[in-house]
Amino acid sequence: MSRSHFSRSPRGNQDPTFTRTHSHSHSSSNPINTLGLPSPPPNGRRSSMGVEVRGMRRLEQRRNMEESHYLACNARAQNYNPPVDLRLLDYVSSYDNNLMCAICRCPFVDPVILNECDHCFCRACIRQCWNTNTTYTPLGPRGDCPTCRTPAKLGPRSATSKILVNLVDELIVQCPRKDDGCKAEVRRCEVQDHVNIYCGYTLIECTGKDCTDPVRRKDAAQSCLHYGASCLLCHKELQQWKLEAHWRSECPDRRVHCEMCKSPVFHRELEMHNKETCPAISTPCPGCSSRNKRGHAEAHAKSCTFAKLAPVLLRQQERLDEQEAAQKEMSRKLEVLEGGFTNMQGILFPSQEVENADRRSGDSNHIPYLRRSLVSPENADADAPTNDFAGFDWNFSAADVRHDGASSAETFQNGMASPPTRAAPAVPGPRPDDLPEPFSSDFDLASPPTFPPSGPYASPLHHLLSMHESLRDEMTRITSALSELDGRHSMQILNENLRTREEISYLAAQTAGLQRQMHWFTSAQLQRQQGRSPTPGASGSALGGAMMDAGAGAGVEAAVGAVSTAATALRGAARMVNVGGSASGVGMRRGTSEEGRTKL
Amino acid sequence: MASMSSKRLQKELTKIQGTLPPGITLVSAPDLREWVMDISIIDNPIYPPNETYRMRFSFSPSYPIEAPEVVFVVLAAPERKIPIHPHIYSNGIICLDLLDSQGWSPVHNVESVCISIQSMLAGNTKAERPPGDAEFVRSNRQRPRDINFLYHDPKV
Repeated sequence: MSRSHFSRSPRGNQDPTFTRTHSHSHSSSNPINTLGLPSPPPNGRRSSMGVEVRGMRRLEQRRNMEESHYLACNARAQNYNPPVDLRLLDYVSSYDNNLMCAICRCPFVDPVILNECDHCFCRACIRQCWNTNTTYTPLGPRGDCPTCRTPAKLGPRSATSKILVNLVDELIVQCPRKDDGCKAEVRRCEVQDHVNIYCGYTLIECTGKDCTDPVRRKDAAQSCLHYGASCLLCHKELQQWKLEAHWRSECPDRRVHCEMCKSPVFHRELEMHNKETCPAISTPCPGCSSRNKRGHAEAHAKSCTFAKLAPVLLRQQERLDEQEAAQKEMSRKLEVLEGGFTNMQGILFPSQEVENADRRSGDSNHIPYLRRSLVSPENADADAPTNDFAGFDWNFSAADVRHDGASSAETFQNGMASPPTRAAPAVPGPRPDDLPEPFSSDFDLASPPTFPPSGPYASPLHHLLSMHESLRDEMTRITSALSELDGRHSMQILNENLRTREEISYLAAQTAGLQRQMHWFTSAQLQRQQGRSPTPGASGSALGGAMMDAGAGAGVEAAVGAVSTAATALRGAARMVNVGGSASGVGMRRGTSEEGRTKL
Repeated sequence: MASMSSKRLQKELTKIQGTLPPGITLVSAPDLREWVMDISIIDNPIYPPNETYRMRFSFSPSYPIEAPEVVFVVLAAPERKIPIHPHIYSNGIICLDLLDSQGWSPVHNVESVCISIQSMLAGNTKAERPPGDAEFVRSNRQRPRDINFLYHDPKV
């Protein structure tokens, strides 16, 4: 889109610094005048041919310089003012939708017609669409029609008729600098000229000496505005020529008009104004569901009963929230407790199995408390006749089997199998009349109505829990009784032991006395024998006596052996007593458990 | 370029705020980068008439030349679900050649895309997700426009 009317000369490569230093001195002067009056040569020598040649060279030099200077200025100006893209303009006049490009939705800019399908687009749009601005296609721009997908290409005859071009070029548009303040509205075909030549808001090069910075065209008549200044409102440091734009769109302290209430506000306070004070913005009434403008809020509050109630409602809401939070916490607690309870139940049911097994193994009424609590309180008298009660118990467990879960059912069945001889299948005598109906048919741990509602247990779970507690009490009582019995038994054994020991020591002393007597006897007899044997006259009798002595000696020896065996027997007995004491302790412990149970 | 896209979106927005075909509503267009639209399908038993589906349009700076990114989104309140369709994945990505660089044409606009999707749903007869939906939803981290869909169904 170069607007240059100069043709670049092939030799026109000049030093840019040179150009810049001389730009201002020559920009205002007419190049023809300069060409007509060449400056004298620096060395001052004159010769006809030399002057001619040198003059020509200088002329050329000067022309090149001028040209490059113009180009540079032009390029700079184009940087300040890029060519107007007509597709981005705001149109003042209304236009027919049929004059609109389907791609950019603007009135056609340099329209082309695809010969293959007769669809029409802006040239730039279709080239962008086909991506031919960036890629080189040797056969010319080609692609599919965006509307109908017909393969098409841009040929030399693609341009549309002048009528269409004129139609769209006549449309009135706003100046592209309208954001900066230009209020011009011109025909579209003249927009570029307006921007380049007339628009006061177009940036051009500063007219000040040695200054290449841009300035607005309307400010260019003033002297160079490229000096530092500070904004009067916000005290920001910036250049003088930028102040106007700053006040227009940047300065936070500038006055703007609130769009809603039209009152002037500072730009930096606009947000707060909108949020809090602007009377034209509607806010919801705290009570009712209506929205009212802030300015009318007070009047509304006087008439609206809900608005009067608003503080009360707020308080209620607060309390509601509080309660809700509390409830949430409670429900969480309840959850935890329920989890714990199911755990307990899991523990409880196996414990019941153990109790059942216990009951099955031994006497059927050694835990009467349990049975009493399983049976309803009004049936408490039922446990007086044992046999009767066993029958009832069996019946109850059968009912339970029918209605209860699998695990307890199995144990109950086991319990049923072991005492079958004792338990009659049907409850004898007046029992069935005494039993409340739910017990015989509908007993279920999970159904609370089976229990009398006035009874101490509101639900089977409570009942189970209390049962568990009572069992625990039972256990502690049994344990204490056991220990008591244990102590008593050990005392008894100790006493008996003492007595036996005394007897044994008495026997041992007696045995020792006997032994002594025996010794005395033997020694006396031996002395008698020795005293009698030297007498010769009595050999026969001596022989007889010797024989008699030998017999007596054997008898004495036998007696000694008997005494010693008796002593060993006594010692063994003493040992036996000791061992027996400890053994009877073990046996007794087993016995006491039975005894304790029966006792309790 | 960027200004061209915003210029065009501005014009589309003005038009959309005026009139829209039945079943299509503009929910919000906070800026010229992302718009949210609601569509409802009127004449198909697969989609209850009171159910509305939410679509998110994301525009790139080179918008009319490049296709917008259109996906369905899930929302809790008001409830918005992903419509069930053999070409719509359960993460909201739509397999439609119109939204791909090959099928897109700068002539299309937000309204025409909405109408296309609405008619695609209205003409649907199969209440099912595309094949390999679970796998795709689990593994896909790509933007919709980077996925190489294979467009095989000429009926839609």
